[in-house]
Amino acid sequence: MTARPTLMPCRGTVPRQKSNRQHTAGRSLMPVSTDTTPSAEADHDDRRTRLARCLERARGGELAALDEVVRELNPLLWNVARAQSLTVEEAADVVQTTWLELLRRLHEIRAPQALAAWLVTATRREAWRVRNRRRQNTSEGTDVLGSVPDPDPEPLERLVADERDRVLWRHLERLPERCRTLLRIVAQVERPDYSMVAEAMGMPHGSIGPTRGRCLAKLRESLLADPGWSMS
Amino acid sequence: MTDPASQPLDETDQAILDQMRALHVLLDPPPPDLDERVRFAIALENIDVEVARLVEDMLVGSGSRGAERTRMITFDGESRTIIVTMVDTADGRVRIDGRLAPAAQLRVELRSAGTAPDAPSTSKTVVSDDAGRFAFDAVDHGLVQLVVHPIDDGDATSVVTPSLVL
Repeated sequence: MTARPTLMPCRGTVPRQKSNRQHTAGRSLMPVSTDTTPSAEADHDDRRTRLARCLERARGGELAALDEVVRELNPLLWNVARAQSLTVEEAADVVQTTWLELLRRLHEIRAPQALAAWLVTATRREAWRVRNRRRQNTSEGTDVLGSVPDPDPEPLERLVADERDRVLWRHLERLPERCRTLLRIVAQVERPDYSMVAEAMGMPHGSIGPTRGRCLAKLRESLLADPGWSMS
Repeated sequence: MTDPASQPLDETDQAILDQMRALHVLLDPPPPDLDERVRFAIALENIDVEVARLVEDMLVGSGSRGAERTRMITFDGESRTIIVTMVDTADGRVRIDGRLAPAAQLRVELRSAGTAPDAPSTSKTVVSDDAGRFAFDAVDHGLVQLVVHPIDDGDATSVVTPSLVL
């Protein structure tokens, strides 16, 4: 009755030992601290194993397996595109184009972690093309739908009800733009992927990862000094 | 004095990043149909495809009423450019006229996503003429995508456009 299988194709019992062995290398890069609960880490392993299996199936010709990967990684791509000052329509096209470009390269990408990095890099490249083209078109004075800027954002107060969120936003706005972009993108992925995604964003090694890095340190310091922001 | 930037990430850092993620979902969510548009676009039979990027999307014509307006979209691929114009027809559908450059007789497929959420996608194929022209009349509104195939399925790759909402 339905064209698309409603079952998620890559879910299922994950052989635990296999998933642990597979990610030993990645985990050794993580800080040896107690703040990551074992269950959160297991979730991450499960997710990664699941995405790896989806990729494997997609490479084997079962393209529907990519649906789950799209659902998981689209928010990341969306934020990368929007952080490159694209309009909503431009960003949506760039995200689509990036996935279409992936099809031809599917066989080259083995690990889900490499997939996220590849997609981030490709999205930035596509966004750059769009901005470049927009600049050329604007100089010709053409009425291009895609280049109409979004309307002025509504006042923050109307959009954000939570005072703690408003405080965060105000502190974010004081950060350099590259820091805002980095943190926005990194917040979309899970901790073991921070450094790889940061590097795909063109940020120097060590900008975030096992350590906090300058951008997050700066934001954290100003938030902790603000009585309007608290941990809970 | 230790540099706070070189400290390992802790719960506070995680809380800040979690809050950032939630805040961006609130302030700048992706279009609700983004996943669907992507999934439709990549559900292709052959994945060895060349992508023709959307490079121009504009409304032409002077009609002040929407029905009189023509939308012209240009997709640019490495091997071929696809230019389509779309006009709303009186019966509430869309007529699509297109041109391939360089001109060639090729199979042009129009994939349409079903209108119901889980309806199967459909497809229509026409062959472009010597001048690279092709047309689809009476196309339903909704999500569509063009795929330009070589006439004989030899080694040439197909050219695909992103999906777009008619």
